[in-house]
Formats: sequence, structure tokens, C-alpha cells
Amino acid sequence: MAVDIPKSFEALPTSSPRHIGRGRRRVEDPALLTGRTQFVDDVELPRMLHCAILRSPFAHAKITEVDTREAESLPGVVAIVTGDDALRWSHPAQSSPEGWGTHCLATDAVRYVGEPVAAVAAVNRYVAEDAIELITVEYDPLDAVTDPVAAMAPDSTLVHAGQGTNVMMDRVFTWGEVDQAFEAADHVVSEKFRWNRMGANPTETFGCICEWDPLDLSLTIRGSIQSPSMFGLGRAATFALPSNKVNIISQPHGGSFGGKGGTRGTDVTCLLSRKADGRPVKWIEDRIEYLTAGGSQAWDRHYQASISVRQDGTVTGLRVGLIDDLGATGEAYGAICAAKPLAAFTGPYTIPVAEYDLKLVATNKVPSGPYRGMGPPPHFFVLEQLMDLAARRLGMDPAEFRRKNFIPNEAFPYTIPSGNEYDSGNYEEVLNQALALADYPALRSAQAEARQEGRLVGIGVASAIEPGVFDWNAYAIVGMPGTGVPEGATVSIDIMGFITVRVGFSLEGQGQYTLISQLVSDYFGTDPEMVRVVYLDTQSAPPSFGPGGSRLGVAITGAVLGACDRIRTKACRVVAALMQTEPENIVLHDGLFGIPGVPEAQMSVSDVAGTMLARSDLLPPDVDPRPEATHVWTAPGRTPADEEGRAKSYLTAAQAVHVVQVEIDRETGFVEIQRYCLADDCGTRLNPATVEGQTDGSVAQGIGAALLEEYSFDEDGQPQTTTFMDYLMPTVYEIPKVEKVAVVTPSPFTPLGAKGCGEGAIHTTPAAVLCAINDALAPIGQMAREVPAAPKRLWELIRAAGDTPEDGLI
Amino acid sequence: MKPAPFEYAAPPTLDEALAILSENDPDEVKILAGGQSLMPLLNMRLARPELLLDLTRIDELGGVRALDSAVSIGALATKRDVEDSSLVRDRNPLFMESTVMIGHPQIRNRGTVGGSMVQADPAAEYPAVAVALGAELVARGPGGERVIEADDFFITYLTTSLEPGEILTEVRVPDLPAGTGWSIQEVARRHGDFAIVGAVAMLRLESGVCVDPRIVIFGASDRARRHPEAEALLAGERPSAALFESAGQAVAQSLEDPTDDVHASADYRRDLARVLCARTLSEAMERAEGSGA
Ligand SMILES: Cc1cc2nc3c(=O)[nH]c(=O)nc-3n(C[C@H](O)[C@H](O)[C@H](O)COP(=O)(O)OP(=O)(O)OC[C@H]3O[C@@H](n4cnc5c(N)ncnc54)[C@H](O)[C@@H]3O)c2cc1C
Repeated sequence: MAVDIPKSFEALPTSSPRHIGRGRRRVEDPALLTGRTQFVDDVELPRMLHCAILRSPFAHAKITEVDTREAESLPGVVAIVTGDDALRWSHPAQSSPEGWGTHCLATDAVRYVGEPVAAVAAVNRYVAEDAIELITVEYDPLDAVTDPVAAMAPDSTLVHAGQGTNVMMDRVFTWGEVDQAFEAADHVVSEKFRWNRMGANPTETFGCICEWDPLDLSLTIRGSIQSPSMFGLGRAATFALPSNKVNIISQPHGGSFGGKGGTRGTDVTCLLSRKADGRPVKWIEDRIEYLTAGGSQAWDRHYQASISVRQDGTVTGLRVGLIDDLGATGEAYGAICAAKPLAAFTGPYTIPVAEYDLKLVATNKVPSGPYRGMGPPPHFFVLEQLMDLAARRLGMDPAEFRRKNFIPNEAFPYTIPSGNEYDSGNYEEVLNQALALADYPALRSAQAEARQEGRLVGIGVASAIEPGVFDWNAYAIVGMPGTGVPEGATVSIDIMGFITVRVGFSLEGQGQYTLISQLVSDYFGTDPEMVRVVYLDTQSAPPSFGPGGSRLGVAITGAVLGACDRIRTKACRVVAALMQTEPENIVLHDGLFGIPGVPEAQMSVSDVAGTMLARSDLLPPDVDPRPEATHVWTAPGRTPADEEGRAKSYLTAAQAVHVVQVEIDRETGFVEIQRYCLADDCGTRLNPATVEGQTDGSVAQGIGAALLEEYSFDEDGQPQTTTFMDYLMPTVYEIPKVEKVAVVTPSPFTPLGAKGCGEGAIHTTPAAVLCAINDALAPIGQMAREVPAAPKRLWELIRAAGDTPEDGLI
Repeated sequence: MKPAPFEYAAPPTLDEALAILSENDPDEVKILAGGQSLMPLLNMRLARPELLLDLTRIDELGGVRALDSAVSIGALATKRDVEDSSLVRDRNPLFMESTVMIGHPQIRNRGTVGGSMVQADPAAEYPAVAVALGAELVARGPGGERVIEADDFFITYLTTSLEPGEILTEVRVPDLPAGTGWSIQEVARRHGDFAIVGAVAMLRLESGVCVDPRIVIFGASDRARRHPEAEALLAGERPSAALFESAGQAVAQSLEDPTDDVHASADYRRDLARVLCARTLSEAMERAEGSGA
């Protein structure tokens, strides 16, 4: 029987939705605010041990000896593992590209500072840390390579001697007649850019408790795990276990943004549990471990990019050359961040042809990982700077230049050169709204005055696409299998009419449990308080991927509404039998099943559920008597990648325009954001308060990326930013008030017309802030090509312009 | 991020604390005040004392008291105590302003005045204003009490002239002389961060010329220092933007061995010292003019 998932609020079985589409208080918050949410570090298990990890102080060295004897004799130490244990009991990590993974503990050599070399399980973390100090490791230091360009040279030091090269992948993807476009162009704008390594820093670092069952030969892992089912499959592969012997229990976690990788630490902890005869072992990654060798250092990129432009302002082609420094291995999926731009390569523009020259390179740094947005934010930073350069060269206003190149409304669904299809959009309206909100003409005239006074005031207008509803097909080019990404939910109504929804993902902060309660209560005409959402571990849950890739809001809406529809169908048959009519005559509306227009022929949802559960003898014999159903939703119509990587991958394309005004202190190089306005269109807003929260947080992270955050290394590969003194997250003081306006263009392809919006503003913010900075620098003939635009860098640029305060007018 | 094992003592009186210090090898004892600098060092195992001597139960080391022409601040008084002190606000608005520039409220609730002095972070505000104001630091040790001029107290990065076995008990902050214009400004990557470079300026105007000008630069090198060459340029001169700019240039020239790190190169720090010197001088001048003296 076909499952009918409403594509709009109007299609829900209610006169008017009371909950969905409104900014509801979150059901998650009372427990969070009162400290009752159980994070992994709150979990205590009987006989539990605590892990500390000994890490490499060298970026590159051979290990000649590891001596653990003294540590073993320290009272309270129960187990110690080294590379030998990893060799004996585990496989190298899966990697992308394939074949660039290593064991979780260094076996022959260390390849980055912070790489785990040995680990201790002891009665508490104090003793465990005392013990790792007693382990002696003899290193034979080797030259480290930290610059990916140098690493590509044939005579470079090799990160993995056995590979014969540091180049993990080197391919040019060509979509259309790119050479022709550039030859025929009136203008070609070409620039180099540098995006420095930065990444997610969730409030909670990664943590896990691993339990190896020596009799059952199975693993139970509790942790702050973002994608439990995928995580479980990975561990099964590492430990050569059948996939049904790994159970993952995802604790609520304090944010992720991509930073909850944690696979290496988990594998180390699993080895310890095995060595400790199955005692549970807890590892809580501390902040220094996280900043030194954690899971989310992302986007360490060197770009050379160009666009071809006609005199009338039409952009005719885009070329992006990217050298992406993935660090020492391919285990943390930095490569997929380099692949994801394919889902929105040409941004919101009608650029008809494009080329991607992609080089993935290994160096002696921490393996690079995922971060909110997964790779397009730097890509859009580059594209938007090129757009501004072109507009400046043509003497066009940057907003109007973008307008001219926007994909027009009637062109949707629109297929971009790199193969993905955008579902819908109204880009001009988004631009108009953003410009109106900012009062753009007024900003420009204030800027003209400021420039008269010699002040460096700039305005950035930038636009980007947020690909929504993650799909593996986008990652085929780096060797990921192009299978679907399902999300399931089981909805059951009990004998009192209360409703329980069982899902396979735990709390991460985005409020999906609230969303579920909104959906179900409008569907069945109950109150959200009557809906309870319950998390199930991987051995019990319906198929689930969990949060990630701006997908869960859309996907869980599909799953929940699908399950509700399945219950409705079942219940209609039951009610029809009781009322001696056909199921087609029974309608669910505002919480009542019955015959429309016949007031006495109506049953409440709880009456129907009660009858099904208590009187299965009255039901048609082939009706399952449980008022319960599971639905598994997967994005429809996705296609595998062709030879050039082209696929229909991400299902939705949200779009935004940000307008930013900055002033650069021309003596100190410090940037002040004076105005921040944005308009965005992520389709139907299921819970507008949640969307706003996601936007605010994402703007903050985008500002961090644009101005502050950077993992630095010295030439020997020593990390320079291992505490929050040096790795600078923006605080509430650095984030301006963000003025926002919404445009709503529903997706034609999704449940209720919603689009992915979880990653959001970070796609546009760094681009917009840098556009503003470069607009400010334009009068002195300078351009910031490096992110973050730290004051030291802007000061250098201003100084290079020969610009001294006495110059006065520019 | 767990400290190595240590013994712990938290005596209620200064005499007992001094006795504990004298009974132990003072190099193996670490004094704990607000812990805002020491706790991370312990957790990173960069500090590994055998004994942690916690002073926070010693009431006599707290409090803010009026002296004739100075304010006496107990070494264990928190920055929050200073922030709440109307005495400091009235007598020394510069010291007050420097207090609220330190970190965040959470840090100031715990961090002590003495702790900041002994920590002697080159980018900390208190050592800089102590040098500018000519504060006195009072220490007790086996040999009794010692009063140390601020300029003699701060030696270099994280190093003071306090001897092992001595406890800082009190900081005497002279009142801001009447008619003094002052300013403290810094550039930090974020609100509440330690300064990349900061400057303190003080001056009075008498008959339209600068009197007793003082310039202290902090964060730029190993410790907060006055810049006598620049001060000499100002003394007896009519204030002007050009004069302040040349004082800034003198500061930049006389800055020795500026720090070079991930946030700022040595050249950049030198230039920021120039800029902040000029900016603080002009703010100090405005205040001096406003004071009507
Ligand atoms: C996030 C953050 C931001 C900060 N920002 C700033 C800032 O902007 N500006 C700034 O100046 N500081 C800043 N600090 C540091 C803060 O001001 C500390 O409080 C201060 O450096 C130390 O004071 P404390 O009382 O915490 O001392 P503790 O950490 O307890 O001790 C510091 C050192 O002083 C010694 N010591 C303490 N008291 C005595 C005493 N009475 N006699 C002898 N030795 C003693 C200790 O043995 C130790 O070596 C920041 C700290 C944090 C965590």
C-alpha cells in the first residue's frame, strides 16, 4: 500500500496545524537545563576502568622501542596496549581514499604529533595518566612534511613510505567545454586563496565507554556518537566482527558539528577492554587531546581558481584548482569534504561549465576531518571573492552582478554542471529581501562618506547554496559507496492514546525530538505533551543514519509522517469494520476517525487504539492489531555518479544572501563587524525558532572561520594551537546582532516542503565577511586571500599598501 | 589533564603558612590562590609540586583598606572584590579600569590580585598598572617583611623577585594624583583575552604642558615596562597629536625584543606599541583636560 507523506502543511489531516510550523519550546530543554541529561561522562558502569593515551611528541619518527614494564607495575593499572596489540587484534582504519588508513596505535612509525602510541586502562584517570608517563618510547625522528605543495614534489619525504607518494588523489573533473568558455571570455579573473585548517569545537569533546565481551565476542560501545549505525559498521570492520555483534549506544551529546569522529580513540579503548578481559573502559577526550589530535581539523586548503566573464557580466565558466592537505591518513574523512562541493559547485549561479582540479595530499599533520558544511564553505569563499573581483573589474555593483547570474525561478529543478539538481528557489527575492533589510543604498552612501575620511569601511554581499539531505552519491569520487541514507521511526499509540516514537539517534542539540512531537501531535490531533520520543541503540532501532549533512529534519519528518500514515491506513480499516463500511469512506481529521459529515460516526484516536489493543477479536483478521507502524524514509530519485562524478545527490538546495558591513582599523588591522543582515530560504520552516537557532550558531562559526579560528603548525609539524588561549573560538562578544529575514520556497520533493538547514549560514558567512573586508581594502589596492583574516595579516596588507595614518584621504 | 600526585595543605593563618613553607623545600611547594593560572598548569603537569599550599582560607590576606595616600589590597583579594570596592573606584579609576579588563567575570570571581602579580604574565594588566602607578608589593618570608617596588618586582616572563619561601601579602596602590589624566588600552584577539599589546598612559597638564608623563607598554615583550625616552619627549611639552605620535615612535624604537607568536609577529607588536602609546596618550590628555586641573 502506498504511503502518503504530506508535502505541505495543508495536506496534514488537520484543519490547521497547531504545532508544526511554529516556534515551540523544546522538549529537550528541561533535562538539559536542570543537568539531568545523561552525557557519556555521567555514565558509570560496574568495574569500569579509565583510559589515558600516550601520544607522539613528534610529527614524524620511527618507533624503535616501546617499554611498558614500569607502567605495568604501577598499582591501579589493569591493562596497557601498544601497536603490537593493534596489529594482533585489529585492522587499519577504513579510509577515503581507500588504502590510506593506519592502525589505531602506531605500529612502526608515528606520522603526526598526537598520534596514539600506547594506552593504559587503570582504576581512575589520574593513575592512568601517571602510568603513561612511565612508558618509555624510543623514537628515531624523521623529517616532517607539513606543506602539501612540498609534499607533492617527487623527492619529498614520504608520510607513508609504502605508498611511494604523498599524493592520495590527483584528478581533473571537467563538466562541459571549459577551455572554450575561457577562450571566448572577455575577462578572466584568476586568484590564489588559502584557507587555513580550522574546525568544530563542540562544548563536549568525544567520549566513549567500550565493553568487549570475551565469551560472546561482541562489542558494546556507549559514547557521544553522532552516526551510530555507520560507527558500528566501522568498528565491525576494524575488529573483524559480524555487524550484529557490535551494539552502539549513542548518549546525548553536547554538540558535534563534525567533531564527534572519535573512531581512533574508540578503537584504542576497545583494545584496552579486550586486554582487561572485558571490563568496561571509559575514555573521555580532553580538550588538549581534542585540539592536538581530535576528529575535526578541517579544510586545510590551497586554491587557484578563476572565472570567465562576458562584458555584459555573464559568468561563463568556473575553474577551481584545490590542493587539499588531508594530514597523515584518510581515516577521518577529510576527503569527503573535498568532494562535497560537487553538490553545489557553481553556487546559486547559472555558470554553465566548470572544472575541478583536485589534489588530495598527505602531510605530517592530524588527519583532517569533517566540519559543519563539510567542505563547501571554503569553496564559496573562493567563488564569492572571484565574483567580487569580476564585478569590480566590470564596474558593476556586486549585488547586481550576482542578480544577473542567479538561476532564475522558472529554471527549477535546475541541474548544475557537476551533476546535482537543485529543487527550487527564489534567489532574486532572497537578494531583494537582504538588501532591503540592510538598506543597502544607505550602507553604500555611509561607506562613501567613511571613505572620504580615509576609513576602511567595506560592504560584502554574498550568496551561497546549502546542499541539504546528505547523500553518499556526492562522495563517489573519493571512493565512498553510493548507497542511500535511510532514516526510520516507529510510532505506536498506547491504550490510553499516548504516543511513543522510537528513533535511532540521540540528542545532539538540534531539537529533532521537539520536531517529532510537533509532527505527531498535529497528525493525530493530540498535544505535544502526549508524545514521547525514545532513543534505541543500533541493535534495536529502525534503520537510521542520525544527524549530519543537513538531513535529519527532513528525513525524520518523512519517517514520522510515513509511520503515521501507515497507522492511519490500518486504523481506517479497523474503523470501517466497526462501522460496517469500506475503509475508503473513513477519514482521519483533527484527531477523529470517521465518516465525514456524520457526527455520530466518529471515533477518537485513543478509542481506535484502545479497541485495536484490547479487542483484536473485533478486527478484520488480516489487520495487525497494534496501532503501531515503522516507516523508513530515504531521499527519492538519487542517482549514482557517472565517470565525472556527476550525480543527483543532495535532495534540497537552500539559498541565502548575507550583507555585511565591516570596518578595519587601519592602524591595528582589527576588523569590526558593524552590521550583519541575512535573508535565507530553506523551504518550509518546520520550527522557525530552531531554524533561527541554527542560523545564529552557524553565523557565529562562520565569523570564527573568517576572523579567528586556525590550527597552526610550525615547520616541524608541532601544533601551535593546543589550548583555547591560542585556538580562538568566537565568544558572544565577537558576534554581532544578526538581523534575519526569511523567504519560503517549499521544496517540491520533500515532506512538508522543508529543506535541509542544519549547516546553514557557515556556507555564506566566511564568504560575506571576506567580501566585506576586501571591499574595505579595495581603495588601497589590497586583497585578503587568506582565511582567517587575522589582524596580523590585514596589518601586513595595509602596510604593504604603503598606507600610513597621515595619508588621510584615499 | 589530571595533575600528578601532590600533598595539600590549607592553613587558616599566614604564620602557619609560613611555617609550612619553612618546614618544606620551598622549591617543591606551590602556592595556590585563585587557581586561574595554576590549576591549568597543574592539570597539564607543567607544575608538579610535592605540596600545594592553599592560601584561600587565610582571611587576613583578603580585603581592601584605605591608607593615607594609597589603597592596600590584600594579596588574596579577588578581582571581584576590587571591582566592588568604592574605595578603589574613588581613589584609583585607572586600577579599577584595568580590573574589569581582566578576563571574564568568572575569572575575576576567583582570580586574586596577588596571583596576577606573582604570575607576572607579560600581557597581564595588573603588573602594568602597578609599574605605571609605582605600586609597592609586600612580601613575608623567613626573614620577615619586605616591601618591593613594582618595577623591581617584575623581572621577566613569569618571573618575579619574590624568593621561594616568601608569600606576597599585600599590594599598596598609590592614589592617582589629583588632575592626572590616564588611559589603559589594549588589543586582544577577543574580548577578555590576554593582550597582544597594551599600553598605560598617565599625565598631568600644568600651564598647558605635560607633567609627570608615564608610559607603560605590556604584552609586547618579556614584562611591562616604562619607556623613559618617550616620557622625556613629552615632559614639559604642549600636547599634540604629532607629539603623541613621536612618543609612540620612541616607544616602538626602544621596545626590546618584542614577542613573536602565532597571534602577532615582533614587527606587528612593535607597531601596535606605537599605535597604543599614541592612543592612550591622547585619551589621558582628554581626561587631564576634563579634570579641570
Ligand atoms: C580564561 C582566562 C582569561 C584570563 N584573562 C586574563 C586577562 O585578560 N588578564 C590577566 O591579567 N589575567 C587573565 N587571566 C589570568 C587570571 O587573571 C589569573 O587569575 C591570574 O593570573 C592568577 O591569579 P590567581 O589568583 O588565579 O592565582 P593562581 O593561579 O592560584 O596562582 C598563580 C601563581 O601565583 C602564585 N601565587 C599566587 N598567590 C600568591 C601569593 N600570595 N604569594 C606568592 N605566590 C602566589 C602561585 O603559586 C602561582 O604560581 C585569565 C585567566 C583565564 C583562565
